[in-house]
Amino acid sequence: MKAREFWLLFFPSLLVMGALLVLPLVRTVQWSFEQVRYGTPGTFVGLENFTDALTDPRFHKAVLFTVAVTIVTTAILLVFGYIIATGINRITTSRPLVLGIMLVSYVLPNLVGAVAFSWLFDDNFGGVVNRLIGFFGGSQVLWFTDQVPNAILVIANTVWHMLPFAMLIILAGLQGVPNELKEAAKIDGANGFQTHISVIIPTIRGVLGFVTLITIMDVLRMFDNLIPLSPQAQNIGNESIMLYVYSVAFADGAENLGLGSAINVLTIILILIMLIPFIRGIFKEAKAER
Amino acid sequence: MSLTSAELSTRAIVTKGAPKRKRRGVNRPPVITGLLLAILCVVVLSPFIWMTLSVTKPTDVAFSNPPVLWDYQPTLQAFVDLWETTYFSDYLINTLVVAVVSTVIALAIGIPAAYALSRFPSYVSAILLVLALIFRALPRFAVVLPMYDISRALGIYDTTFALAIALVAINQPFTIWLLRNFFAEIPKELDEAAMIDGCTRIGMLRRVMIPLMGPGILTAGIFVFLFAFQEYLTALVLTDTSSKTVPVFIATQLGQTLPMLQQAGAASMLLTIPVFVIAFVAQKYLVAGLADGAVKG
Repeated sequence: MKAREFWLLFFPSLLVMGALLVLPLVRTVQWSFEQVRYGTPGTFVGLENFTDALTDPRFHKAVLFTVAVTIVTTAILLVFGYIIATGINRITTSRPLVLGIMLVSYVLPNLVGAVAFSWLFDDNFGGVVNRLIGFFGGSQVLWFTDQVPNAILVIANTVWHMLPFAMLIILAGLQGVPNELKEAAKIDGANGFQTHISVIIPTIRGVLGFVTLITIMDVLRMFDNLIPLSPQAQNIGNESIMLYVYSVAFADGAENLGLGSAINVLTIILILIMLIPFIRGIFKEAKAER
Repeated sequence: MSLTSAELSTRAIVTKGAPKRKRRGVNRPPVITGLLLAILCVVVLSPFIWMTLSVTKPTDVAFSNPPVLWDYQPTLQAFVDLWETTYFSDYLINTLVVAVVSTVIALAIGIPAAYALSRFPSYVSAILLVLALIFRALPRFAVVLPMYDISRALGIYDTTFALAIALVAINQPFTIWLLRNFFAEIPKELDEAAMIDGCTRIGMLRRVMIPLMGPGILTAGIFVFLFAFQEYLTALVLTDTSSKTVPVFIATQLGQTLPMLQQAGAASMLLTIPVFVIAFVAQKYLVAGLADGAVKG
């Protein structure tokens, strides 16, 4: 393909992304150095927004909460995604049904899923989960007003929402493991568990890395599900970074765009650092293709 | 760590199911596996089962503790109220219009772009793909807050078109990655043969590639549609009253009176049903897209 043809075909997409992604992003970076409100030109304040953000205890709490949820969720998703993928890999006829059911929690609007999820824990709706806990002799849990139970609720919902994705990618990875490898391990006397640990998992580590990266990036950006799951987020210290950005930069009366933008820029830098190995992978592939 | 390693053998999952080896006598029949997966399915669906029950109960029964599991007269009153006392039908229409418009535009500009990326092996393509990956990963507020400012300045704030086009842009990185991976599987020789036969590049794309890419385009279309259908954050920031979408409406109903909560539940059910149907009917396309797309939305 000639370069001229390439640019002709790519141009409409480039135009949309340039105008609606690149320009806004430039504006965000610019705002992060300004004291600014919507619709007015800002005044340059240098790094003030960044120092404000980094010294705000509310931001520290939000970072701590977000990072904790991210780490726990990612770990659970890898383990359970792997176990379930192994299970699904063994069934044949009922596979489309199981995949169809599992996909529902993934493709549903995150907010709607979180509303449905919260009702299981909400004592206003009969408190099904607390009833179950009571049945097994536990005591009532304050899922919405106690910090740790609420964090567990948020993690449970995030796992519920993201598990189909993790499971499907890992399943794709499992399909790519050659049978010869598994048979060789068996001949060498490895049991099922050993085969998984020392043969299959190392073989699909690229896939697991990919799942880890996407999960981390998506959980770092969590916002929608906290609306129904953590209505008291700020009071109990379970605010996510993006909820914090929303409340300082957009919610009524705040409009502290500079501060919100500074946090966005900090989040972008963090994400870029995590993407480095993948970016190198893409360039390596591009080189190989030429 | 290669990005495309996730693509490995999607089609094997989709079309063939498990590897067809004779298992009898070698492995245990997967009875326990089947049982555990059945339990998993029930757990996954439990929020919806409970919500369906809560929404179809009379209001006083729905909010009683301990819960009343039977011995009540099921009712669709919450749905009737939702329809009669709120502007739900408007919100539903807005949501559908946004989803359809953004899907059509996203595919119309995404297909040629993805094709170009798959057929132009150079550093330019690699850089563009990397940029797409970065944009896929960005915190959405970083582009949506300036969009709010710009749309107010341009006077297109709170229009379904502004929301649809914003979603086209936000999902474009995913769209072109997904389609580009599908295009990459079609041999280049096919393009060349068609062009030797006298097709122009555009004619070839239209007559040869698009029919061949049917499943890939369908997959991308379903994803873009679902993303637009799901979107809460962008809709929250870019709409006010006249182009409000269902997820935004549901969020505003929360924390209100009990009948309104039940209406929020009814609205959620109505939004869930089409997604349920899509998930089942298009299951194999969704699976293919998730693994093939590599950059998930």
